[in-house]
Amino acid sequence: MTDAEPLLHAEAVAKSYGAVRALRSADLRVQPGEAHALLGANGAGKSTFVKILTGVIDKDAGRITMDGEPVALRSPAEGYERGIASVFQDPAMIPDLTVKANLRLTGTDPAAVTAELEQLGIHGLDLGERVSDVPLPFLRMLDLARALAHKPRLLILDEITAALPSDLSAKVTEVMARQTAAGGSVLFISHRLEEVIEHCDMCTVFRDGGDVASFAPKDGREERIVHSMLGEVASGQAEEGRRSRAGRPDVGEPYLVVRGVSAGEVLNDVNFSVAPGEVVGITALEGQGQEALFDVLAGARRPRTGDIQVDGEALIARHPAAAISRGISLVPADRTMAILPKRSIRENIALPATARFWRWGPISGRKETRAVNGAVARLSIDTRAASQARRLSGGNQQKLTIGRWLAEGFRTLLLFDPTRGIDIGTKRQIYDLIRELAEEGAAVVMYTSELREIELVCDRALVLYHGRIVAELPPDAGEEALLRAAHGFVDAEAGA
Amino acid sequence: MTSTAPQTAPVPADEVPSTAQRVRNYLTDHPIVVLSVVFVLFYAVTAALDPSLFTVQGLRSILLLACPLALFAAGQTIAFLTGGIDLSVAMIANFAAYVVATQSGAGTVTALVLGVAVGAGAGLLNGIGIGIFRVHPLIMTIGMSSVLLGVVSVGQASGGFLSGSAVVPQVLQRIGGGTLIGPIPLNAVVWAVVSVFLIWMLARSGLGRNIYAVGDNATACRLSGIKVWQVLIVTYVIVGILAAVAGMIISGTSGSVGPSQSNSLLLPSIAAAVIGGTSILGGSGGYGGTIVGALVLTVLNRLMLTLGAGQAVQQMVYGIIVLALAWAYVAVSRQRAD
Amino acid sequence: MTEVAPQTAVPRPTSAVARFRQRNGWVVGLALLLAGLIFLRSTQVANFGGFELRALVAGGLMLAFVAMAQGVVVISGGINLAVGALMVLANCVSALLMEDASFAMSILVAILTVIGTALLSGLMGWIITVSGMPDIVVTLALHFTFVGLALFILGGPGGRANPDFANMIVGGFSNPWPALLWLSAVFCLIWLPFRYSRSGIATYAIGSDRQAAFLTGVIVKRARVKAYLISGVFVGFAGLVTTALLGSGSPQGTVALGALLSSVAAVVLGGVALAGGRGQLLGPVLAAFVLTLIPSILLSMGVNSNIATLLQGLIIIVVVMLGGFLEMKRRKL
Repeated sequence: MTDAEPLLHAEAVAKSYGAVRALRSADLRVQPGEAHALLGANGAGKSTFVKILTGVIDKDAGRITMDGEPVALRSPAEGYERGIASVFQDPAMIPDLTVKANLRLTGTDPAAVTAELEQLGIHGLDLGERVSDVPLPFLRMLDLARALAHKPRLLILDEITAALPSDLSAKVTEVMARQTAAGGSVLFISHRLEEVIEHCDMCTVFRDGGDVASFAPKDGREERIVHSMLGEVASGQAEEGRRSRAGRPDVGEPYLVVRGVSAGEVLNDVNFSVAPGEVVGITALEGQGQEALFDVLAGARRPRTGDIQVDGEALIARHPAAAISRGISLVPADRTMAILPKRSIRENIALPATARFWRWGPISGRKETRAVNGAVARLSIDTRAASQARRLSGGNQQKLTIGRWLAEGFRTLLLFDPTRGIDIGTKRQIYDLIRELAEEGAAVVMYTSELREIELVCDRALVLYHGRIVAELPPDAGEEALLRAAHGFVDAEAGA
Repeated sequence: MTSTAPQTAPVPADEVPSTAQRVRNYLTDHPIVVLSVVFVLFYAVTAALDPSLFTVQGLRSILLLACPLALFAAGQTIAFLTGGIDLSVAMIANFAAYVVATQSGAGTVTALVLGVAVGAGAGLLNGIGIGIFRVHPLIMTIGMSSVLLGVVSVGQASGGFLSGSAVVPQVLQRIGGGTLIGPIPLNAVVWAVVSVFLIWMLARSGLGRNIYAVGDNATACRLSGIKVWQVLIVTYVIVGILAAVAGMIISGTSGSVGPSQSNSLLLPSIAAAVIGGTSILGGSGGYGGTIVGALVLTVLNRLMLTLGAGQAVQQMVYGIIVLALAWAYVAVSRQRAD
Repeated sequence: MTEVAPQTAVPRPTSAVARFRQRNGWVVGLALLLAGLIFLRSTQVANFGGFELRALVAGGLMLAFVAMAQGVVVISGGINLAVGALMVLANCVSALLMEDASFAMSILVAILTVIGTALLSGLMGWIITVSGMPDIVVTLALHFTFVGLALFILGGPGGRANPDFANMIVGGFSNPWPALLWLSAVFCLIWLPFRYSRSGIATYAIGSDRQAAFLTGVIVKRARVKAYLISGVFVGFAGLVTTALLGSGSPQGTVALGALLSSVAAVVLGGVALAGGRGQLLGPVLAAFVLTLIPSILLSMGVNSNIATLLQGLIIIVVVMLGGFLEMKRRKL
């Protein structure tokens, strides 16, 4: 197979950001008619490589050829002429322009896009609509249709399925099959191994800025993939992750009680309670009202109806400060909502300490040092780049956000997809921490889009569908039961 | 937590930053070093052309002129740190000076308190508009400027509340023109007090932390329980008070008041903070750099004067120097605005 | 799971009325306000006619052009603090060169002035993109430089506009048409074609979301420079109008600062979002005339001119606060 002339061939591609070497030397061969997966833990250099490939950034060294001819895209749009079309992780649509105007920017024929949409089974999407009025999953489909309208020979899909409900995800995989059947190739980047195993012919795994393995991802090879992604050290731990817990822990009286809460456009009459020492998992497909629920719990948004009781007293929050003073703290999914990029690790962690008006006076250096060091040690935060948080990796940034609340103290921790986009090592640290916190008596409410995490860390799972809790399941209910509930199909036993 | 999981640290252990990188990082974190060198250079060149700068009087004149600029720039610096800007400082200063001068009949202390209160009040309104109604600082303070100009004009008209005889209190004339000892003018004492307070406040107080944090990431602040509007209001009140004090000192130096006497310092106050290394986008910088920035601009003015350059050339060079320093700063720190 | 998965519903398109309101609501409201104000003015003045209209149109023309100049840059996600200074420079240079020039020469001078300001403004944009400095810093620094340059060139108030040229731009005593015509011509022949070209869409794109714009193939740096270039064209016209209206050159920092502040006010009042990417240039143009009309109406109502200044500031603050307040309410819902 490697003897055939590859469609795309990258050799020894390298890239450094200042002193940080993001890519040491990466090779990749994509054959015609092949669906090729690119895998790797966070920080492996995968996203840097894709950015170079698509012309978002320049490479420092190496060679990329297509059909034996060198390609060096200076901007993503140049790819269209070379037969490369990409769907990026971030939507490449201007929110304030109409879809049509967006298509003009890329020189795409609107009729071709409409045709592709029809073929995807999406009918009646109005291209005169302003992009900010189109829901995210359909923006991703528009991105895809735009890429397809250029009839690419190489289609690059970077984490496209992450934001899609399953019926639209299925359409993406259909597109991949059609593309390869027609002799084109697909480079597929995804964190979801099951998708890769099911739909890709080949995969290349990156680790530490280089490619470490390339093989066909067949069933039963998950272990090999994980092994390649993690290297020697951590691969054993990934499988050992399952904890044996004797059912629900012995929890006390409910601490946080949510009654009849409705908010936003979706969230409707949600009821549940959380006790100290308990980790409650919440899972749902995209856009089932989970954001609104967490905003309400964190005091960032007022519910339309219903109320929240903390320790038997109603919580009426006009500002997150009110929730925080009652011991409820939020760790948002998006780290750009939590990090002070230009400030030090110390200031990031000590941030909540100066929130109240009466703490705007002198800072006690010693007390602060103790609190910050405690959090840094407990989370094993890498402090080598301590002077500016933006120099930290995503995992370390997420640790800062959590560490902030370890230093400040809390009784209920709200975690919104705390491991999104984080490498497996840090993920495991966070799982351990959550369990530890619960054992110490904290109540934890955690939304997760990774169903596996329900079993790994939660004591019970609530499934949100169309803004309502449709099922409460034990943690070992299995991913299929969770997924069925998330699609609104509730078995009699689970509905209890 | 004894996990041996792979760390995805941005700086792998085997890659020590190069010397050039370390120098760059040091200069990025301490822009004041470069700026101080520029200041010494300017001062030496100017003094070579005009030896009077080497005298006590010469040094005194620089400090005397730099003080009001540095006070305006102090306000501008903290406004920058929150990600804002204040274009109303000059009009606040004019207004405060007017109030003090026309109310001096009611007693010096009353007049001074009124002057400061006027500054605080205007700052409070700015803060409310920016913090609570989320008006863009540029717009809010431009609007405030024109409102204050209107208020001063209306007040000045016969029968208005500023129409009485304007007498700048003796205390202000002393502070604005007197000498403490040797080359140190009295107004530098005010400046020193303000500097010590601001530098301490920004580095070691909760308010200072919050000012930086709000400028760096307001959403993160909100989710951490900081009421951003409170921080912004306090910030703009402080800016207003600083502007009022500067206005009073200026009126003390000139011994008179005018509806636009401080206006020429508005843009230089922004320039001083910019070349002092404070990011106009918020979150990084400090008052130390601004002090040197104000001194550099003052010496630059003197240099132009010494060279006999007219106002035209002065303005042109002024703009180019600000541009060059800001450019150098971005080039060294590699912190591009985009 | 696919067989049990429900079909994710395709969103229903927003209605045509909602779209129109979303896109043009502010401008229509502003146009109604302007019409109301003109009507009010006509009831104040006996024999309302060409004279008053000419005073309004010619008087507001300079601000309208400066507001457009500011507007383009704001739409592209930036700000241009040098519009006033560059306008003063254009005014001084054109007044100096027209002093003894014939009509034909004056036209040539005018063309060169516009080209010159466009190039200078483009240079400014180029410096911003190359250096990576915040635009606010670069344009502020060059504000000083341009005012200084104007003073340097003219040495003080002076120069003279060619009277025929002045007539051609701002019209005679009671002739509002030339000014109106110039405004429409510049708007329709320069702005509209630009706005609907790919470059124009790119201007909106970089103001709305720079990262996404880059991913869609917009060369962000080039698009930014283009926005400043177009801004410079409008500034050039503003300078020429000033020359025609004043009949001379006036190298004063206060004029520059005044024009700058009014331009920002007009842009905000005109419904162009300071964050960039949203709004139409017609808004700032209408707002410029609203801002010109209000003082004269207040004056006629017997309001002291000082109070008129105060009210103008208040109006701007109140309008913007109202905008902020509505935005807040919208978010809460």
